[in-house]
Amino acid sequence: MPKKILVIDDEPHVVKYLTIFLQDCGYETCCAADGLEGFEVLKKEKPDLVTLDLQMPNETGTRFYRNMMKNKEFKDVPVIVVSGIPGRHLAVSKPIAVFEKPIDRDALLETIRKTIGW
Amino acid sequence: MAVAMKDSPDGQYKRLLDALPCYVTLLDRNLTVLWSNNSCRRDFGPPAGKRCYEFYRIGNARCPDCLAKKTFTDAEIHSSEMMLRSDDGTRVNVLVYTSPVCDDKGKIRSVLETAVNITSVKDIQKQLILLGQTVAGMAHSMKNIMMGLEGGIYVVNKGLEDKKPDEVKEGWEMVLLNFEKISQIVKDILYCSKEREPNLQKIKPNAVVTEVYNLFKGLAASYAIVIKLDLDDKIKKAVIDPDGLHTVLSNLVTNAMDACKIDLWKDEHLVEMRTRRGRNGSTIIEVADNGIGIDKDVREHVFEDFFTSKGDKGTGLGLMVTQKILREHGGSITFRSRPGQGTTFVATFPPKTRPNAAHG
Repeated sequence: MPKKILVIDDEPHVVKYLTIFLQDCGYETCCAADGLEGFEVLKKEKPDLVTLDLQMPNETGTRFYRNMMKNKEFKDVPVIVVSGIPGRHLAVSKPIAVFEKPIDRDALLETIRKTIGW
Repeated sequence: MAVAMKDSPDGQYKRLLDALPCYVTLLDRNLTVLWSNNSCRRDFGPPAGKRCYEFYRIGNARCPDCLAKKTFTDAEIHSSEMMLRSDDGTRVNVLVYTSPVCDDKGKIRSVLETAVNITSVKDIQKQLILLGQTVAGMAHSMKNIMMGLEGGIYVVNKGLEDKKPDEVKEGWEMVLLNFEKISQIVKDILYCSKEREPNLQKIKPNAVVTEVYNLFKGLAASYAIVIKLDLDDKIKKAVIDPDGLHTVLSNLVTNAMDACKIDLWKDEHLVEMRTRRGRNGSTIIEVADNGIGIDKDVREHVFEDFFTSKGDKGTGLGLMVTQKILREHGGSITFRSRPGQGTTFVATFPPKTRPNAAHG
């Protein structure tokens, strides 16, 4: 069973890029365009890891993270923050890693492999 | 009163102080204004026994960090920046110095307060700060675009490798779109950087509107936004700079789509591009959306240089450039908006364009 990664970003192109890349690396993927949808997909798909864009409209990225941390079932699912603004990850207390856009995809893959394996 | 008379300058000295192009006042230990020079009286009225803070309309009590008090205590010169209000209520930024005025025995009798008007310097400073923030903002939007380009290239390569033409096409669209975004930013910057005469030509406005519509409808669809055209066939030709019109439309449609993207409360989002003839033969172009709307706080800043409400995804250039183009055509741009309901921008190009009419 391949590990599953949830990609949350409001830019459809970023979603496309990351999902194709991650599938290419052997992961299964699911995606969401904002934090609200993200939480629905999280409950349905139960991914092993989440990549999260924080700069989404109406702060849904930050709110998604808070809701996720409050939820017993999901609070230990690792989160990788993908951000356009350096330093913004402070809004999130303990992400596994923070990647600035444009993402260094090899470094991202390495982090994912270290965290959840192949 | 006798003290005041004695401490006030007279004769040649009075004329010298009156001639100084800055605000000069003489204060006693209670901060009462004993004397003020001409510039002062012109902008702040007669002192009439007022305290310094009343005279300059700073507040009802002495400033927390009173410079005059300090000078009375240590006989040193102190300085600071302050904001005053003139007689007619306008803001005056000043750089204030307080210096001691001593009698023959070296005892401080009063404090001379000199204030230099730096309002224009402050305004330039504000512009420069905004400019700096804009450049930083631009760097961030570039980052997003670079990510899009990188993504597009990756998807194209993957598609070629797997021999999947659909994927190649999709990736190529990502590249094209981000290329378009970056050229728009560069065009906006160039547009702002200098005064330019619009390249006026007889064109068909409806054709340019259709061109921009075709450019954006695919992108809009990917965000589940429908773009509609409502063109007035009676408009045949108008004298407008075609590139300028193209830029105006692209900026307005981009804004309209952004307003729809961040609106989570409606199921269907619509952007409508309309043309119509104005009463006096002007060409009116409207871009309407049913997005998030513009709330009260943002309303007054909409056309401000470098202002953006889109965080790292905006540059603050779009509407600034749009307004500049309309002004160069002797036209105007206005908007009406209801928060939560949507916004309509109305660009009016005058019938026979008078270049630079607004600069007159």
